[in-house]
Amino acid sequence: MDEKTLRAIIEEVLKEVGANDGGTAVATKTKTQAPQLRITEIGPAQRGTDPREVVIALSPAFGGKLTQTITGIPLGDVLREVTAGIEEEGLKYRFIRVFRTADVGFIAHEAAKLSGSGIGIGIQSRGTTVIHQKDLPPLSNLELFPQAPLLDLETFRQIGKNAAKYAKNESPTPVPVRNDQMARPKYQAIAALLHIKECELLVDGKPVQELKVEL
Amino acid sequence: MARSKRFEALDARPVNQDGFVTEWPEVGMIAMENPGDPKPSIKIENGKIVELDGKKRADFDMIDTFIADHAIKIENAEAANALDSLEIARKLVDFNCPRSEVIKITTALTPAKLTEAVSQLTVVEMMQAVNKLRAREMPANQCHVTNVKDNPVQIAADAAEAAVRGFAEQETTVGIVRYAPFNAMAIMIGANVGRPGILTQCAVEEATELDLGMKGFTAYAETVSVYGTEPVFIDGDDTPWSKAFLASCYASRGLKMRFTSGTGSEVQMGYAEGKSMLYLEARCQYITKGAGSQGTQNGSVSCCGVPAAVPSGIRAMLAENLIAMALDLECASSNDQTFTHSDLRRVARSLMQFAPGTDFICSGYSATPNYDNMFAGSNWDADDYDDWNIIQRDLKIDGGLSPVTEDEVVAARNKAAKVIQALFRELGLTEITDAEVEAATYARGSQDMPDRNVVEDLKAADGMLKRGVTSVDFVKALYRAGYEDVAESIYNILMQRISADYLHTSAILTKDFKVVSAVNYPNDYHGPKTGYQISDERWAQIKNIRQAIDPATI
Amino acid sequence: MTQEEMIKQVMAEVLKNLGGSDAPAAKPAAGSVSSDQYPLAEKVPEKLKSASGKAYAEFSLQKVISGELTSEDFRTNPQTLIMQAEVAESVGRDAFGRNLRRAAELTAVPDAELLAVYNALRPYRSTKAELLAIADKLETQYGCKISAGFIREAAGVYEERGRLKAE
Repeated sequence: MDEKTLRAIIEEVLKEVGANDGGTAVATKTKTQAPQLRITEIGPAQRGTDPREVVIALSPAFGGKLTQTITGIPLGDVLREVTAGIEEEGLKYRFIRVFRTADVGFIAHEAAKLSGSGIGIGIQSRGTTVIHQKDLPPLSNLELFPQAPLLDLETFRQIGKNAAKYAKNESPTPVPVRNDQMARPKYQAIAALLHIKECELLVDGKPVQELKVEL
Repeated sequence: MARSKRFEALDARPVNQDGFVTEWPEVGMIAMENPGDPKPSIKIENGKIVELDGKKRADFDMIDTFIADHAIKIENAEAANALDSLEIARKLVDFNCPRSEVIKITTALTPAKLTEAVSQLTVVEMMQAVNKLRAREMPANQCHVTNVKDNPVQIAADAAEAAVRGFAEQETTVGIVRYAPFNAMAIMIGANVGRPGILTQCAVEEATELDLGMKGFTAYAETVSVYGTEPVFIDGDDTPWSKAFLASCYASRGLKMRFTSGTGSEVQMGYAEGKSMLYLEARCQYITKGAGSQGTQNGSVSCCGVPAAVPSGIRAMLAENLIAMALDLECASSNDQTFTHSDLRRVARSLMQFAPGTDFICSGYSATPNYDNMFAGSNWDADDYDDWNIIQRDLKIDGGLSPVTEDEVVAARNKAAKVIQALFRELGLTEITDAEVEAATYARGSQDMPDRNVVEDLKAADGMLKRGVTSVDFVKALYRAGYEDVAESIYNILMQRISADYLHTSAILTKDFKVVSAVNYPNDYHGPKTGYQISDERWAQIKNIRQAIDPATI
Repeated sequence: MTQEEMIKQVMAEVLKNLGGSDAPAAKPAAGSVSSDQYPLAEKVPEKLKSASGKAYAEFSLQKVISGELTSEDFRTNPQTLIMQAEVAESVGRDAFGRNLRRAAELTAVPDAELLAVYNALRPYRSTKAELLAIADKLETQYGCKISAGFIREAAGVYEERGRLKAE
């Protein structure tokens, strides 16, 4: 990512943080050419019974206030890849949104607890992602992708695929771990700003919502 | 406008790859002295603190309550808090005021008061204070041993080399959580092949980490994280009470442990409540103290990109180390995470602890090239070993490492790889081939290692836990395999759990398994030529770099 | 340890426990230690025992290999942790000493149960009644008086701060 893109992201985040116009996510247009991502709440989420489903939990600002990952990937594209990965394995998916916390571990664990298969995926707007299983401690995981700047669309598809495989009781080879020691110097302060943005949308006591997601 | 060639060159410099932001006090994006920080105050009624830093007990959050009830030495509190903050600051620095007198005052202060006192100091004064207030007489160092493939053979070899180079403690973590038992086992065995008496840990989720400790896969724990605001503490899935209980769980099994915290974590997690990073970190240190932890790992740690992006952020990291020491805690002072592209900035940041010396200057130094560092990169890595050694020699300071020869390193790596190969075989785990042993012996990092069958490894690791294998089984298996010396070292690590001497503040072990801690080797610095002095023998070690030309040979 | 010393030590313990969780650190009883005896393994190894009651001084690698010592033997003894608490207190580390005294009690609690109690103390994991029941069990079954008080204290704070499991 070049300096210009970085500057554009910082400016955008600062602008959005300053905007202070509250409210939870509804339909918004992404700032790029990517197709529209439309997310609607359809009521409190239920525990699924279908063992062939994976639940995907989104953070509070995902697809609403925030429309792209920390490296500028449109969030609609992220979901398209994750769901395609699940579909490739012949499984179904549902979307939920968590309002109690913006922590990706808890978000993913919430998804796993509500999932008929016991497998869930949690994704933060900046891209940080976890594959979780309902019987694990909330801050443990099956696979964790902590370095958001390193996640590309191909990785998101593999994440969807592996989650589906866990749901089928298979033992997939984990998505290869990536590491870039220079991600933190470049992105951490910006990641903090993005997280503050997520946290501004938390609603205490609001139950997890089932979402209709139009990609 | 035409581009200035000067600015073009400057823009291309590594430092300009770093992220910087301006201060934003309302959300806590400020290192020190936020106008939103509370004014120090304390009121005590009937032996109970009823007002703390401007808040009445009725308005206390969970953290205020815990600090008020557990963390402040109440007998001295009124007198100590009545002192002028500048006067306290001067006592922190003045070598005529002994450490014991300073500690009597500082352990009775409120978090806002101690924060205000250290905020009076320049970094040079803080370094002087660190030199005096470090708990253990002599400094030491800690490293990370990880790799992006979670390859256990490489972990064992890198741990052995790191031990030969001088690290007293070693820490691993995982890319894939289910590799944790292998990584923990590999670092413990490898480190103790390199030098008997190295303490090792494996950073994973808290309950999992305790479980590994109980099984004897680790000798201590460090990733017991605490936070300075209640919502972030809850997002960390704990409370001060659960963390204090966890501290007791470790001690009940004879396991050393320290807490972890650092500036920037609260703003990073979205709830800084409009306070400065340093004030919130001071609250973390009081929680650490009140929970009865012997020590802390602090200095922003994994959040250091946040304070490093704002003014006075690097100074805040030194200030938080100083707060930990002023509370009489062991301080593993971070210097363990990348925060900059600039070699100049990373040395400047580390000199703050490197020059005065802390209990563990880095916590840790990456014992692999940074591409293998699964803590997302350290401020120092294996490619910097010679730089570290030469800075020690340049400044005549003891940063815990020693120059070594290639032969020593290759021999230690080879032995560690062979030992872990034998241990895997004896325990019926996955195969480690001779080709892997050979690769690990000469490897720089995981790019030089063959791939392993990850799915089979994870099955074997899980099976080992299910069979109830403990480190006593390691001892027997090593003995059976003919490595009596390594068996004996692991046995001696286990013996520490019974005597529990190494639970004390700043404890490390010598190669003969003698405990060196702040109890039997307290820091008694009180001016020039006192406190820790580099001995002639140690100086000979530090000086002996392989690059120096002996004039007699010319 | 002579019988007389042992009686004194046990008495000191009982008296301390009667004081409840807020009691100040016990006054050093006869036969107790301070930083002068530290490290205990070097200065007073004869006072050290494993949780299983075996003498520290009689441990050896050979006994591990022969199977005479098992992983159960590599656990510290409550008396050892109390001595370490005394060492800590003798150098002014009261909070650390209190931790070691809680730990001394917890040596009696099996691993799995200890992990379960820790997890129950995490946010939103337990109702107030559940926490109080855990405290009672620790106290009556294992004699963990200090820890029981500590958990009751936590239950009160969690209730006030809304960190209990929804009933």
